[in-house]
Formats: sequence, C-alpha cells, structure tokens
Amino acid sequence: MSKASLREAVRDALGRKSVACALTRFADNYVVAREQAYQVKDFESLRREVARIKGEAASRLEELAAQFTREATRRGAVVFRAQTAADACHYIARLAASKGIKSIVKSKSMASEEIHLNRYLEERGLEVVETDLGEWIIQLACQRPSHMVMPAIHMSRHEVAEVFSREVGERVEPEIPRMVGLARRELRKKFLSAWMGISGGNIAVAETGTVVMVTNEGNGRLTTTLPPVHVVIVGLEKLVPRFEDVAPILEVLPRSATAQPITSYVTMITGAVPCVDPQGNYLPRKELHIILLDNGRTRMAADPVFREALLCVRCAACLNVCPVYQQVGGLFGDVYTGAIGTVLSAFFTDFTKAALAQHLCLGCQRCREYCSAGIDLPGLIAELRRRAVEKNGAAHVERLIFEKVLPRRRLFHGLLKAAARLQGPWAKEGRIRHLPLFLAGLAEGRSLPPLAAVPFRDRLEGLPRPARPKDTVAFFSGCLVDFVYPGIGEAVCRVLAAMGWEVKHPEGQTCCGFPARQAGMPKSLAELARQNLAALLEAGAERIITACPTCAEALKCLYPEALAGDAAWLPRAEACAAKVTDFSTFVWEHKDELLPHLAPLGRKIAYHDSCHLKYALKADLAPRRLLAAAQAELVEMTPRELCCGFGGTFALKFPELSRALLERKLEAIRRAGADLVALDCPGCLLQIEGGGVEKTVKHTAEILAEKLRRLP
Amino acid sequence: MSTLKQLYEEFVERARAVGTEVHWARGKEEARQLVGQVIKELKATKVALAENPFLEALGLKEVVRECGAELTSGNPREQAAQADLGISSFTLAVAETGTIVQDATDISARLVSMLPPCHLALVPAGGLVATLREAIAFWARRGEIPGYLAFVSGPSRTADIERVLTIGVHGPARVVVIFVEEGDGEL
Repeated sequence: MSKASLREAVRDALGRKSVACALTRFADNYVVAREQAYQVKDFESLRREVARIKGEAASRLEELAAQFTREATRRGAVVFRAQTAADACHYIARLAASKGIKSIVKSKSMASEEIHLNRYLEERGLEVVETDLGEWIIQLACQRPSHMVMPAIHMSRHEVAEVFSREVGERVEPEIPRMVGLARRELRKKFLSAWMGISGGNIAVAETGTVVMVTNEGNGRLTTTLPPVHVVIVGLEKLVPRFEDVAPILEVLPRSATAQPITSYVTMITGAVPCVDPQGNYLPRKELHIILLDNGRTRMAADPVFREALLCVRCAACLNVCPVYQQVGGLFGDVYTGAIGTVLSAFFTDFTKAALAQHLCLGCQRCREYCSAGIDLPGLIAELRRRAVEKNGAAHVERLIFEKVLPRRRLFHGLLKAAARLQGPWAKEGRIRHLPLFLAGLAEGRSLPPLAAVPFRDRLEGLPRPARPKDTVAFFSGCLVDFVYPGIGEAVCRVLAAMGWEVKHPEGQTCCGFPARQAGMPKSLAELARQNLAALLEAGAERIITACPTCAEALKCLYPEALAGDAAWLPRAEACAAKVTDFSTFVWEHKDELLPHLAPLGRKIAYHDSCHLKYALKADLAPRRLLAAAQAELVEMTPRELCCGFGGTFALKFPELSRALLERKLEAIRRAGADLVALDCPGCLLQIEGGGVEKTVKHTAEILAEKLRRLP
Repeated sequence: MSTLKQLYEEFVERARAVGTEVHWARGKEEARQLVGQVIKELKATKVALAENPFLEALGLKEVVRECGAELTSGNPREQAAQADLGISSFTLAVAETGTIVQDATDISARLVSMLPPCHLALVPAGGLVATLREAIAFWARRGEIPGYLAFVSGPSRTADIERVLTIGVHGPARVVVIFVEEGDGEL
C-alpha cells in the first residue's frame, strides 16, 4: 500500500458512516463511564504501579520466561518457546495432527491473530471456530478484528444478521438478544464436541506459572475447560514477576478497556487440571500446552526507545480515545490497531505497514493521557516516523521544506512575505477558498485566512509599552501568529503591557520546528532549536511567553529531547524550557496585575481545548479560570474534549479526515449555545474559523485585549 | 477495618450493579430455605450439584428432592449440560467489585457454574473480603496456587453487537449468591 492508496482507503472508510457512528458513540460514552469506574481508584498511582511491574518484567524478560517455564512445567504444563509466528503455528498443527484432532474451539487471542493461526490451521484441514461473539462474527464475515477488545464494533446488527443468516441457512432477524441466543446454541455444540481449545492470556506469572485470562462472555472458561487439550498462546510481554502483581493490572485493565470495575470472569490457570473428554472419560490431568511467543518481543525489549511499548496491558484505551481511530477504525494499524497497535505491528507483524499507518496519527497526544501504563505513545509514534524516514527517505517536498528552507530563516521569511504579496488572486473577501497545486486539499470544504500583509515582526514599533516596566518577557510568536494572525501577537503585547511587562520579540526567532518532528526529521528540529535558543536566550528575559501551545511544547519539551546528545546546547535548552509559559497560564499567575484594567467580559463563552495545551502543557484550566475571573459566563461543550482535526501537516495529508473531525467539533460548538468560542491555539483557530462556523472564534489574548479599560 | 455488615452492603451494591442476586442466610436452615426458593422460582427440574463438605453439611440434596427437582446424573460434563440450575460453593467474596472467588480445580465445581443457564453460589459469610488485592493476597499466602481459580462477577455478558449489553451469551444468564452465616468453618 502506498501513501496514495492509504488516502484512498481513508476516503472509503469515511464513506461508511456507520463505522464512525458506532465508534464515536462508544467513545463519547466510554470517557464518562471510565471516569465512573475509576471513581474510587487513583488512576495516576495505579498506572505508575503497573508501569513499574511491567518495566521490571521487560528488563528481565528472559529470566522470567525461564522461571515461568520451570514453574508451569512443575505443575504439569508443557511450555514451548516460539521464536517466530511460524514456530508457534507449526507446533499447534503438529500437536493436533499427533492426536488426530480435527475440531478446535478458540477464545479471543490477539497473539493468534498476530501469527495468522486460523488461516494456517484451516489450510491443514482443521476446523477452527472462534467462540468470542465478536470474533465469531468476524470469522464468519471473513474479516479481521478492527479493535483489540471489541473486534466487531464496526458492524451493525443488520450486517451481523446477514452473516448469521448465511451461516445457519435461514433468515435471521436483526434482533440482538435473539442473535446472541443463536450464537449460544450454535457455539455450545462446537464446545461440546471440540478436542482442542486455544486461548490467549492477559497475564503470565513467572513465580507460579499461572496464566490469567480476563473475559466477559464465559467462552474463555468453556474453551479452557471442555476440550481435553488446551493450548495457550501468550506473548513474552505478558509476563510479570509475582502472583501479587496481577492485582494492579486487574484494577486497570477492565476499567480502561470497557469501563467495568471488573469483567464477568477472571480465570487463573496454573498447570494441568482435571477434565472430562467429549466421550465422557475422566482425565485427572488434561493436556496444557503454553506457547510463550517471542516474534519480535525480545528485539523490542533490546530497543532503547521501543522497549516502553512492552509496558502495554492491551486495554485499548488509546484506541477508544483516538479521534482518528473513531473515524477510520481498523485502518489505523495492522493486526493490532490504534497508536499502540501501530507500534506493536512495526515489531510483530509488518514494519512497512506500520510505517505507513503511522501517518494517520494526528499528534493530539490524548492517548498518553489515558494509557494504563503511562506509555509515551506520541513519542513512540514520532520515533517510528523518524525510523520510517530514515529507512525510506523523506518525500522531496518535505526535504525541500525542512532541510533547505526552514533552517534558513531569511529565505523562509522572505518566501512568506513574497507569498503574502502573490496570494491576491486566491484571496476573496479576506479568505482563501481555493489553493493551487498540492495545497488544494487544504482549502477543501473550508476557507483559509490569507497571509498577513504586514507580519507581526514588522508591527512592533506601534505597540504600547508600559511607562515603568516591572520586568521583561520574551515573546515567541511562532509562524501562525507572526504571518497569519499578527493580531493575536498584538493582543498579547497589549495585555502584557497593561500588566506592566516590557515585551521583547527577538528577531532571530523562526519556526519552532514542530512540523519537522512531525515529518520524522528531528535533525531539522534540532537545527531550528539552536537558532531559536540563541535568539531567545540572547534577549535575557526572565520568562518566555508563547501564544501557541504547539510552539510552547516544542520549546519546553522537545528541545531538551532533540538536543540531548549535544553537550553545548542541552544546558541552554533546559534553561529555556524552564522559562517557557503559555500566555494564559502566565496571565493567570499574574491576574492581579490585569483584572483592575479589565472591563467585565460579560459574554457566554465556550472554551475549546487545544490538544497540545491540554495534553502536553496540562494548562487547560488556566484560561478557563482567567476568563471566569474576567466575568465571562463559561459553558462546556459536550463532549468536552474534542480535537478540531487540524494537526498541522495532518490537515494537508488527510484533508477529508481532518474535515470529518472538524464537523464533530462544529456540532459541539453549535450545541453549546455560546456567543463566542475562546481558544489558545492559532492552529485550532485556523481550522475552526475556516470550517464555516457561525460563532466568533478568538484567542484568549484577543478577548482580553478588547476589554482593556485604557490602552496604555 | 470494615465490619462484616459494611462489607456485605458494599458487596450487595456492587453485585447487583452487575446483575447478581444476593441473599444472606442466618444459619443452615435459612440457607436451605433460600436454595429451595430459588429452585421453585426457577421451576428447575434438573439440578447439578457440585458436592463438597460445605454443601454436604447444608444437606442440599434433600432440598433439591423436596422441591420436586431431580439431581442430574452421569459424568460431570453430562450432569452440568442437562441442568437448569448449577449449585456450587465459593470460598471468597470481594466487596469492592461484587466478585465471588472459587478454587475450581475440581471439574464438577467448574462445570456447574459454566454450562447451566442459572448458577447458584453459596459462600461462607467469613469469606467476605474488602478488595481484589486482599483476595489475590489470600491465595498467594496459601502457597501453591490452585490449578483453576475462578473469579465470577455477575452473569455472562457481551456487548459485541453494536455495544448493546446482552446477558447469558455463553455462561449463565442468572447468578444467585447466598452468604451462609456460621458456615461450619470450611475455610
């Protein structure tokens, strides 16, 4: 699959409205229900505990695998260490053949999906029946699961009824309880006649040789109880050192997966147990085979960056909250889907596919917030992107922009100024509705603001300054404020001047470099970081203020990371990071300096959470408090957290997807019934304002600046 | 420390939230009456009983017969597959999640809670613990972990079609828990 065909597939997926409907409905409810499920638990300390346990396990993988093998063997299991998917498939096929087994029942196992076990066994004439309802539906429909926990979430009851009708050879009505009853009857027959059961495992305990399964339907219990041979396929990353380590994982897994305090069943199997076979013979010890699957996990554990992915407990929270996943479902990933799925797929199944699927990440960082182990998923996706570029090379356009233009500030800014003069033919009534050439997609279904005739950097002369400044702050404007929304920069300066601060705008500052990282080119980011650090630190200000959370994130979080190996620049990056604050947080901290100069806002304002402000800077409360203190009536949108779909270059790569996300945001804005939408990010402003919303959308700085009593 | 009453109240709240019916029996006689009530209410004709000393002491075989139901016969698999109701005992009950916990290594104990459409669990009142962590620590302390440990929280459920919650997909659609006070010290 190429980038072009990925875009095509995205368009296809967007065309199937039922998928997005089912997924968004689930996702909106999920956030509320999950909150409820965690009510009496401290999620932050729980996920730290989980990360500690899984982190210890990841660093002792081989040792724990050996201990698990010893203990499970002592309890009567046969443990097989499968290096590859093929090893695991061969083992199971040979086992079935050696016992003359023809019929197999399976309970849900993503590891078996990963090794494409069903296909392998079916090609050898075995009947393999999935017994998890969702998996069975998918199997009958000849599809693959679109979600780790809810495999058939993309299908409607009508589609399921059609699939069932084909299977039983008579018309099945699309009534859910009756269809579930049908599944019970049909699958019960399979359970009672099967000679082998195959299951997965959610946790494997090294200390005791125990396999833990977390299920709701009860098919897992039947699969592991009725057939006289039980095969468990469990990835090495499911190992934990001690039996008591199971508890914290059980506390997060069902809560994060399906917002349940616990699943209907938790099953812990330690060694071989008694069984009665389909012919009624009592066996004091059934056969238990445990396949410990490597298939890329050891390689992952040895990787300094990606070993973090082994902390994953497969709750799929990152899918549940991913705005892109909600629109395109299983297209985002391979066998495993969503953010973690894309990372796992790069190691377990297909690097090329994963390298392509990662383009779908828009970089909102919401997944990290919800991850049961606190994995830095956006960081892992960025690294995957970097490696994909390293392996396959960057596109010509990206190399031109990030290697040739951006690092040369004068050239870059000169081009922007030239573009501002040349854009005339496309700008009508102050908006651009059509763009030429490869930019055409960006203007699809929305309008763009034109580049400002005079950028912010050339407007500094006319701005107010306090008579006796108490101190100086440096303002990092960023490209969007500088060249598209200079009014936001002016508003920032007016508000800060009213508060008594002298504002410097160091001329040497340029693009923050975030887009370079987004393109998988961290070297270009590092180069821009050095230029910006030199300019900002030269200004000698105590604080550095931004009006764009993405720029703030770059300065605060990404520069120290990008310059980690550069002894000369790292101290400067850290010094700068400590000084950076977003506009609203800074003003809120100094609100007493502002409020006396401010007339009451007196308007009904809906506040839009910008992803980077909320998830990277964790600064979503300051602007709300600030607006409320300035006597605005704040209303919340439902759902409260909803990405606008901009994502920088994401909007260029997938304009239709970006538009679909924007539609949800616009609906939420309309429902909120406010006079005005406030936000703190010029990127979100560009996206939302361009979507044709009837409401006025403004940066918090602009809203405040308009209400300054006297312009100093 | 929570009192037994507090633990029970929390258990009832949590267990009912996931669809489990809960009763409290003050002694064996009341336990027998409650079991009889469940059998009659269900109009169960075939009952599979996973006998162990705790259930034997309660004399449940007689209760089943007195209710006019038949105890299933044959091997444990056939017994459980024929029954309208499966009865077994559980060791622990976790208040915070409404979960009951059983050493289900014995094949009968396992099957009667899986195959019949209704499952009745008897739990000694002393088996109530506050948290999942306590329940897991309980088994860890005992040394050798049982071959098959079952944690059950309500009936079998699925939401795999359009996220609509439907019960009884593979396991029992109805789960009844009876706590038995003065439970003969089987723990």
